[in-house]
Amino acid sequence: MYLTLKNITKIFPPRGGVSEVTAVHNVSLDIEKGELVTLLGPSGCGKTTTLRMIAGFEFPTSGEIILDGQYINSLPPHKRDMSMVFQSYAIFPHLTVFENIAYGLNVQRLPKYEIVERVDRVLSLVHLEGYGHRAPTQLSGGQQQRVALARALVMEPKVLLMDEPLSNLDAKLREEMRTEIRRIQKELNITSVYVTHDQIEAMTLSDRIVVMNLGIIEQIGTPVEMYRFPQSHFVANFIGRANFLPAVVVEQREDFMIVKSHGETLRLINVKGKFSAGAEVSLIVRPEMVKIKKSGELYKGVIRRAVYLGDVIEYDVEIGGQLITGQETDPNVITLFPEGEEVSVGFAEGCIQVLQAEKSNA
Amino acid sequence: MQTRSPESETPEKSTSSIIRRIREFSLIGRDPVLFMSLLLSGIFIAVFVIFPLYKSIAGGFISKEGSFDLTYFARYFDDYYGPGLRRAFTDTMLMGLLTAASGTLVGFIFAYAVVRCNIPGKKIVHWLALVPTVSPPFALALAMILLFGRNGLITNKLLGISYVPGANDIYGLDGLVIVQTITFFSVSYLMLKAMLERLNPAMEEAASSLGAGRFHLFRTITLPLLIPGIAGSFLLLFVESLADLGNPLFIAGNKTVLSSQIFLAVIGEYNYQKASALSLILIIPTLVIFLVQRYYVNRRTYISVTGKPAGNQIMEKDPFIRWTINIITYLIIAFILLLYATIIYGSFSTAWGIDFSPTLKHWTMTVTRGVEAILDTTFLSVLATPVAAILGMIIAWLVVRKKFTGKDALDFTSNLGGAVPGTILGIGFIMAFNKPPLVLAIVVYAVLALFYGQVVGKKPAERVIILVGGTAAGVLLSTIHPPAMYYYLGGIYLVIAVLVLFTQKKKAFALTAALIGVYVMSTNWAVAIARPLANFSRSLERGFWSNALFQFSDHLKVIFQPTDALLAIVLAFAGVILMQNLSSRLARIGLGVLGLTVPAALSFTGVPFAMVGGAYIIMAAFIVRSLPASVRSGVAALQQIDPSIEEASNILGADAQYTFRKVTLPLILPALFAGLIFSFTRHMTSLSAIIFLVSAKWRIVTASILSEWEQGGVSIAAAYSTVIIIFVMIAIFVLNLMMNKLFKGRGSVDMSQGF
Repeated sequence: MYLTLKNITKIFPPRGGVSEVTAVHNVSLDIEKGELVTLLGPSGCGKTTTLRMIAGFEFPTSGEIILDGQYINSLPPHKRDMSMVFQSYAIFPHLTVFENIAYGLNVQRLPKYEIVERVDRVLSLVHLEGYGHRAPTQLSGGQQQRVALARALVMEPKVLLMDEPLSNLDAKLREEMRTEIRRIQKELNITSVYVTHDQIEAMTLSDRIVVMNLGIIEQIGTPVEMYRFPQSHFVANFIGRANFLPAVVVEQREDFMIVKSHGETLRLINVKGKFSAGAEVSLIVRPEMVKIKKSGELYKGVIRRAVYLGDVIEYDVEIGGQLITGQETDPNVITLFPEGEEVSVGFAEGCIQVLQAEKSNA
Repeated sequence: MQTRSPESETPEKSTSSIIRRIREFSLIGRDPVLFMSLLLSGIFIAVFVIFPLYKSIAGGFISKEGSFDLTYFARYFDDYYGPGLRRAFTDTMLMGLLTAASGTLVGFIFAYAVVRCNIPGKKIVHWLALVPTVSPPFALALAMILLFGRNGLITNKLLGISYVPGANDIYGLDGLVIVQTITFFSVSYLMLKAMLERLNPAMEEAASSLGAGRFHLFRTITLPLLIPGIAGSFLLLFVESLADLGNPLFIAGNKTVLSSQIFLAVIGEYNYQKASALSLILIIPTLVIFLVQRYYVNRRTYISVTGKPAGNQIMEKDPFIRWTINIITYLIIAFILLLYATIIYGSFSTAWGIDFSPTLKHWTMTVTRGVEAILDTTFLSVLATPVAAILGMIIAWLVVRKKFTGKDALDFTSNLGGAVPGTILGIGFIMAFNKPPLVLAIVVYAVLALFYGQVVGKKPAERVIILVGGTAAGVLLSTIHPPAMYYYLGGIYLVIAVLVLFTQKKKAFALTAALIGVYVMSTNWAVAIARPLANFSRSLERGFWSNALFQFSDHLKVIFQPTDALLAIVLAFAGVILMQNLSSRLARIGLGVLGLTVPAALSFTGVPFAMVGGAYIIMAAFIVRSLPASVRSGVAALQQIDPSIEEASNILGADAQYTFRKVTLPLILPALFAGLIFSFTRHMTSLSAIIFLVSAKWRIVTASILSEWEQGGVSIAAAYSTVIIIFVMIAIFVLNLMMNKLFKGRGSVDMSQGF
């Protein structure tokens, strides 16, 4: 493992009337060389604190951080050989683009020709050739973002840290930069840790995603694993959308599982995890797994809301007293079921995942 | 890899939090720059703010014989002294309340005129409103007396009123409140102007779209939103008024207030216990208000302080209100101009009240006999200015950017020196540094030495050797008498320089060490250079040049002969900076011991910290007084800089020192300049804090104005006042010019932080 966090806990001491806060609790994480790992979660989940501990801006209360075989817990940021792209870009306003990017190289007292060469190379990498002499105030938001990225990349760091770097850009630009960051990261094979609260960003960028909530890690996995096999209600709800159907396990066999939900029996395949017969569970049903037809499906339902969104039609349909959200994804369909219409509802049973039932989150 | 439920644990709270604080401190220790800044500001504040204030307050309870004594507090309740003392107290409070109320009102009128009434000549009005802040504290009282006094130009000459004793004249509470109002309203104006500008017009527009009429709107929206500003200004003016010494001395007539009582107790009776006791009475309301201001009013502020002025200002539409306000503003401006013109005219008139014909004789006196005070004041002010401004920036940086235990205390105490009445600080300085206890030097030295050992030594054993060796050698050297001692100490640094040059191959280090060595030795040579200069000046004909040259010879001595204890502090820090990264153990121990020997010797020679009568105590008082303004201006600047900018530099490989030099400093340079301006102004115009510290050798203009006034030299007092105003304005002009050149208009000084 290249970068390892071992049982990291961060407790902020009480200060100024604010009581003690456990920002990060017992977090362990292994990151391989060249991998891009995203820390994803709602605000206050501890993702930024975790990143700042990796950077060295905060020191863990307990636990270990190991980089490339070296224990770096107590190393100050400037000795860690990492670089970081900040949410606010943190461009030095009194320096030109060139001086900004060359800053870290100047600290290392590299010879002038090498600095010029490396800055030029990284400027072309981020498509900012010829912008070196500009003042940061003369740049657009997207260009400032590129400067911030170039300033981090030029250091050829062991680890590249990014703290919500795209959150200040507009939607179009964000999409473009997302692809750009991924391209450069792969091209240079830089080990990266990326913090975001935007699940689409996490899905498009990451080799692996770490979902955090309330200071703990909920789940770690590839984008596919996170979406298809969420291990908690929180993850299922945070990455994509999900309906949770209450169900009871009838029996689980080697390759399938029989459950009963809202009075009907379902036969699920590809279920991860072991459940005993009679256990109360939640079925994770994503909107696109819901089939809403005039007839021929398992459940009887009533349309409560119908919205045409262009790429899909979205319905809230009531079955067995529960409102579930479903989508019609067939582009040929342009007539909506009216509200109050009785319909037939079925699920793509091969995709449904099962979780231990949670009392509050049905 | 899945973890669950963070709440299920109940960790051992209290003990672990103590351990965490200790860990936090050891982490600070890993960052020598942070630790050094912390120590530097901590030592300065402990020695020059907390210690003197403690002495000043405690002094009220200790009789001449050294026993516990409440005589001067008990007097408030007896029948003989009681009525007079109580009357002085109530008069003081009355003065404070009236000045606060009228100053805030005038400030509000000015702010409203400038922000909402589009007053013609807005810029000029703004700058004229600030003029009282750069004039010496009693200039306006002087002008008032020249105009409306018993021999006043207006009262006596124009209106032909001659006063019989006991008649209602300008002297007394009424005159005092008028003068204080004009002197202090600028603060209120700046505060309320900022508030009005930041008031979001949408709120008033919302109210008026909901059908609120003009007065209803003002009463229910505008005024409540401004309440924190008005309250803040009121409290601040109250404190300023209580602390004011100059104006009451001039114009209070037969009324006495606490600040002048304190002054008379020291100057008239040499009774420090009485002065201390009175100080305590004065400091209590001041401190209460300071605390209310800091922890209550500032938190009730609805309008964010960092917020930018809202885009579109609502303008006053009613022409009647608009012009009423504008005309009142113009009238007050005219009055202020009249007062200043009077001062200048007063300095040229032959004998005020009797013969108003112009003459240069007072100016001749001022620039010959008075040149001493003018040069001393300017020299000490200039010397203290960068120290105050830089220290202010360092404290601001610590307070805004760093997390450490005791941060609130640092913030609070750095403001304390400017917030307490200057008289109290002055008494504290006298009591603290006349016969300073040895324990002060020991504590300061111990803190410095421990820090030095911690940074220079890398292992516990090395640290012990450095500490014990350096201290022992130093104490031994301190027994040698002065001229020789300085040669030894300078010699040690020359030895360090040579050793470093040959073993470490660090040229810059060696050069610095050599320079320090020469500087320490030059303590002895300063006299040798200064004496011929002084002798030469005596050979000249008595006049401006001979006096100026004589003063210059004294100023040379100040530069080369710092107070030993202060030099020790500086050299301890210099040692840390030079020797923090020595590679070999032998070098660390050898150079480490030598480097500590010098501050140790300086800390214990003679009576350390005995500063009374010298130049350094005056500079220290200057700095303590001006520190809050430069801290505030630094804080305001730093709060506008995204903290990630410094983190970005840090993670790009720069340590705290490099980051400060290359990123933070350039960004806060405008604030530093503002700090320089505030500090210099404060120094030149301060009276109450230094009035007790002036000596035959070190004269301060403000104190000279007072003594001239007491001896009837009205015109010379006026000339001195003019000189101060001109010097301060020149300094502001030059610094502004420099800043515009440096930043080409990129940064601007936010003057509103200075008061």
